[in-house]
Amino acid sequence: MGGFFNIIWQNLPQLIYGAKLTLFYSVVVIIVATFLGLIFALFKISHNPIFKKTGEVYVHIFRGLPLLVEIFYIYFALPMILPLHEWFHPYFTPIAGILALSLNEGAYLTEIIRAGILSIGKGQTEAAYSIGMTKYKTMRYIILPQAFKRMIPPLVNQFIQTIKDTSLLSVISISELTRQGQMIISTTFASLQIWTAVAVIYLAMIFTLTGISGYLERRFKIDRR
Amino acid sequence: MIDAKNVKKSFGKNLVLKGVSLSVKPKEVVVIMGASGSGKSTFLRCLNGLEKVDSGEIYINNVEITHNKTNLNLVRREVGMVFQHFNLFAHLTVIDNITIGPIKVLGKSKEEAHRLAIELLKKVGLEEKSNHYPDELSGGQQQRVAIARALAMNPIVMLFDEPTSALDPEMVGEVLNVMRSLAKEGMTMIVVTHEMGFAREVGDRVVFMDDGQIVEEGTPQEIFTNPKQERTKLFISKIL
Repeated sequence: MGGFFNIIWQNLPQLIYGAKLTLFYSVVVIIVATFLGLIFALFKISHNPIFKKTGEVYVHIFRGLPLLVEIFYIYFALPMILPLHEWFHPYFTPIAGILALSLNEGAYLTEIIRAGILSIGKGQTEAAYSIGMTKYKTMRYIILPQAFKRMIPPLVNQFIQTIKDTSLLSVISISELTRQGQMIISTTFASLQIWTAVAVIYLAMIFTLTGISGYLERRFKIDRR
Repeated sequence: MIDAKNVKKSFGKNLVLKGVSLSVKPKEVVVIMGASGSGKSTFLRCLNGLEKVDSGEIYINNVEITHNKTNLNLVRREVGMVFQHFNLFAHLTVIDNITIGPIKVLGKSKEEAHRLAIELLKKVGLEEKSNHYPDELSGGQQQRVAIARALAMNPIVMLFDEPTSALDPEMVGEVLNVMRSLAKEGMTMIVVTHEMGFAREVGDRVVFMDDGQIVEEGTPQEIFTNPKQERTKLFISKIL
């Protein structure tokens, strides 16, 4: 049994390095994707047909494709048309990874945020208009704060999905947790120990996030309409 | 002060306003009555641009609000509206419901807005509820807060869209009392309601609408005791 932990212990620095990268990509992607989700959600509920259509097409494409295909497409296919790898050298790999993940998660977040906004009754908008608020102020001070509370559970769901999806970045040789595990195993052959350690680290990250969401729900008294 | 000329509006194929004209003078209290579906609420909502008219003109203080270059947000600051279902901002406390307009729309300081809000809460008798959330209040209390919220913008006219229709009977009185004192202070008011007693006592003029048109208008006395049109007679006999 001592050997079991020993091999994990020996490779802990690498695993922690991988976990840090996983955390980094998760946080960046969650921020970028939330921004995309908000923008495209507002596009989709806009009365402007061009904005509306843009939002619809975005969701259709990036929710419709397998994430792995999106990663390959942006990393391998797109540079054939645009020399992105030269423009962004030497940061093309992380940028491609972040872009692919953000676009994909953003499409799901678009629908979550849109549903949240639409769940707030029309009366709230009318009341805000009736005291002279502009569309922007109505959204900013009346609709989004209420919608956000309702969005917390599905948002957290999607953020958990995002953390797990960063493991796919291993295919474009980003040394996040999953790839670190693979690399350690390729020299030590300690599949059981290392995958167990990797699994435990993922779960620890996700439990932390769940804890934060629980706090947020209590903080914003989610049961208050 | 308010001048609506030949206002027409349809929802799809359904023509709900078939040319409504109405003038309201400063300090006048006009009560609009009519069966549901007669277009009275839709007409009221046209007066602050919540519904867009198909044709016709509406002037408020000589500003044509139906002109597509008019900034409706500026008009709405001056036209208070009270809704059937209160529509208080559910995520804000009572005091924040009242101050958010003056702060975010009029650019008043927090202190000034707060002072004004407390004053208005005293006026509607809800000072002690200032830190409660809307869902902790009764319907009547919520509607009084909604009136205070509209008044905080210092409007030149107040529109009431069936303000007591969603209330339990024992709460109707408290809301009507607030409206009564507003009328006494000289507020210009247009009230869509079924409250005959209120119309009689407070209304300067009663307008009866049916099928998207104004059928008859006159003093409460004329309309309630001596209606000329058949449709008015029928309606009055039903609600008396």
